[in-house]
Formats: sequence, C-alpha cells, structure tokens
Amino acid sequence: MAYQKIVKTIPVKTRETLSDKLVDFLLKSKKEDKMPSDLASTILNQWQQGSLTTEAGLAALLEAAVLLEPEKTMEFLEQEPQLADVAKALKK
Amino acid sequence: MVKFGIEFVPREAYWKTIYYAIQAEKRGFNNLWITDHYYNRNVYVTLTAAAIYTKKIVFGPGVTNPYLINPVVTAQSLVSLDELAPGRVVLGVGAGDKTTLAATGIEIEKPLTAVVETVEIFKRMLEGKSVTFEGEVFKAKGTKFNFKPGGKIPIYVGAQGPKMLETAGKIGDGVLINASHPKDIDYAVDCIKKGVSEAGKKLTDVDVTAYTSFSVHENPEKAKEAAVPIVAFIAAGSPDIILERHGIDLEKVDKLRGALKTGDFGQAYGSVSPEMIGAFSLCGNPDMCIEQINRLLKAGMSQFVVGSPIGPNVRKSIDLISEKIIPHFKK
Repeated sequence: MAYQKIVKTIPVKTRETLSDKLVDFLLKSKKEDKMPSDLASTILNQWQQGSLTTEAGLAALLEAAVLLEPEKTMEFLEQEPQLADVAKALKK
Repeated sequence: MVKFGIEFVPREAYWKTIYYAIQAEKRGFNNLWITDHYYNRNVYVTLTAAAIYTKKIVFGPGVTNPYLINPVVTAQSLVSLDELAPGRVVLGVGAGDKTTLAATGIEIEKPLTAVVETVEIFKRMLEGKSVTFEGEVFKAKGTKFNFKPGGKIPIYVGAQGPKMLETAGKIGDGVLINASHPKDIDYAVDCIKKGVSEAGKKLTDVDVTAYTSFSVHENPEKAKEAAVPIVAFIAAGSPDIILERHGIDLEKVDKLRGALKTGDFGQAYGSVSPEMIGAFSLCGNPDMCIEQINRLLKAGMSQFVVGSPIGPNVRKSIDLISEKIIPHFKK
C-alpha cells in the first residue's frame, strides 16, 4: 500500500524510464532469492498485460527493486531530480 | 516464411526466464525452447509457468532426453502441458549430453535406438490406447493414461551426427540442428533429405530448425565478447571432423579443452579464436546477423532459433532482434 502511495507522486513522463530502469535492476540482480513469489507473480501479470508503467506496475517494481537492489535503486532515484521525492519517501 | 524461435536456459530464478518468455511472445517470436538439464530449474515447471503467462507462443523442451526422463513420463508431461495450452506444445527430444548424463550415473547406450523408441512410445501414448512395446532400450507393458490425451503434439528431434540427422528427418515433424554455420546446416540438410525421402515425405514437411548460439548488439565487438564463453564450450565439445570442416587449429582446441578442464576460464576464453566464433556462433550487429541468417535460409532452414547467449543484455537484445531482424524476414 505504501508503495502505491509513493508512485502516485511520480510524474507521468518519467514513468517509462523508471519502469525500464527498475526492470533492468531486477533482471541483472544476483539476489533473486529475495524476490517474494507473490510479488514476482504480480510483476509477471503486469508485464503480460503491458502495465508495468501504470501505478500498480510501478509499485510492484519499486517494491521488488528496494528488496533486491536497495543501494542501486536509491542511488538512481536520488540522481534523478524528478524522482528525489520518491527517494525521500522511501527513506521514511 | 521463416519462423523465429528463442531458447532459454533456466539457470536463473523462474520469474526472470518467464519475463523473457513474455517479452519474446510480445516481440513476435513463434517458438520458445527451454533446455533440460538436471542442474538447472526443471524444464516442465518452467514450461508450465510459460504456458500460464503466455497466450500464443509455441513451446517445448529443447531438448529433453529419454535416459533421465522415461519416454512415458515425457509423454505425460507434454500431454498435461497441452491441456494447459492446447495446440501450443511441441516435443524436442535428443540423445542427451554425455557429460551431463555421466554425472547422474547414466551411460548413453544405443542413442539412435533410444530416440527412435522414444518417439514411437510417445506417439502411441498420445493415441490414448494401452501401449505394449518391447524395444531394445525401452519397454512398455500395457501402459496407458487414465485420461484422454488432447491433440497432436509435433515432435522435433535434436541431431548433430549424420545418422541421427537422417533418422530425425525420417521420424520427426521437425529437426533441431545444433549448428550456427551454413556449412553445418548444408551438411545437416543433406542428411535430413535422405531420411525424409526414405519416409516418403518432402523436405518442406519437416521444420528444419537451426538451433544457434546467437549474440546481437549494435556494437559487433560487444556481441562477439558475449559469445566467447559459449563458443569455448561448443568448440571444446566438438569432434575433430567438425573442427576440420571449419579449418580450426586442433592444437588450439586442445589447449582450450585443457584450460576448461582445470577451470582456468580466463585462459580458455582467451584461446577462443575468431575462426571458432565464426564457426560456432552467429553474432554481430543486426545487419551482420541478417546476412548470416539469410545464408542459413539458403541452406534450407525453416526455423531460426536464437540460442544462448542472445546478447550482452538479453532484454535489450530481444528488443533489437524484434525491431531490426525479424521485420526483415517478415516483409
């Protein structure tokens, strides 16, 4: 639920870039055992439906990225001026 | 029109393989092949997930073997998958990999006979009748499913040597040729033609599939770099007759084998020559790949399988294939 609130603050024009980056982090991650199976199912369903750039899709990707690659995810969010608020919200 | 297939090795968590499978379907691939090795994720668990998350892509094991998985269980698995995804399932079967099977205590005996008998048992099990079979390698004694199998499941036979290629042409709906070079596909097609004609079929009745080691990137050097580890293992496992066909220095391959044996991967990969890369992989930028795929088409291929490594970044490479290679052949 918290992630769904956070993604509402993401500007629409940055959603595609963010989604792409988060997918990249997840697919390259060596910490795949940290992915909860229900979250994996949600991501695959969203991907199948072409919804990984929607709020629900981004919330799932963000949650997974924070679990598997917290440093990389935070670093990316902090570097993007339009996503700085997302980084702050996640730190809270 | 040529079909495009893609091979995934389920060595990573299932959700990564399935992510790529969904992507492959979205990007216009016709076939999905999942490798079957005991040390990776189970092929049928992976295919079941693929069946659930895809809608039209045709899929199957690429390839399973009858030594580790009894033909009756293979039939059961494929028929069950066909119930989940009717009309989208194919069987890919071959004799198996000697080294991998040896690790499980299994010796490959009478590989040709084993594959022929597997195909026979598989076909008969699919008819839903009681099967009694007295083969040299396999036996069935009144073996029957307690349910009605669905429709036909095409059978692809994985082959490399002349006799297996000929047999594959004779008994298979398709042949999976483990090769990336036109010389090898030419040779394979000649063998397949013999089997096809013996069975009273035409070559076009059989899906002649080039199961390649493929790597694409806009920068050809990056594509080649990604192909090196795979090429090292293919070259090391190739018989001298194939190495000689490609004019590859046998001494270099011996060095490569030695390095792989001792686990010195740095030296092994360093001894992969441009000739080996050219012989055992199809790689480069999209234009270079198109040119090489065209050469395979001229040799008689009807399905092109993009096999490992696919590219330095699998996701980006699938997109590249979809944007720049497949459309060239679908015009």
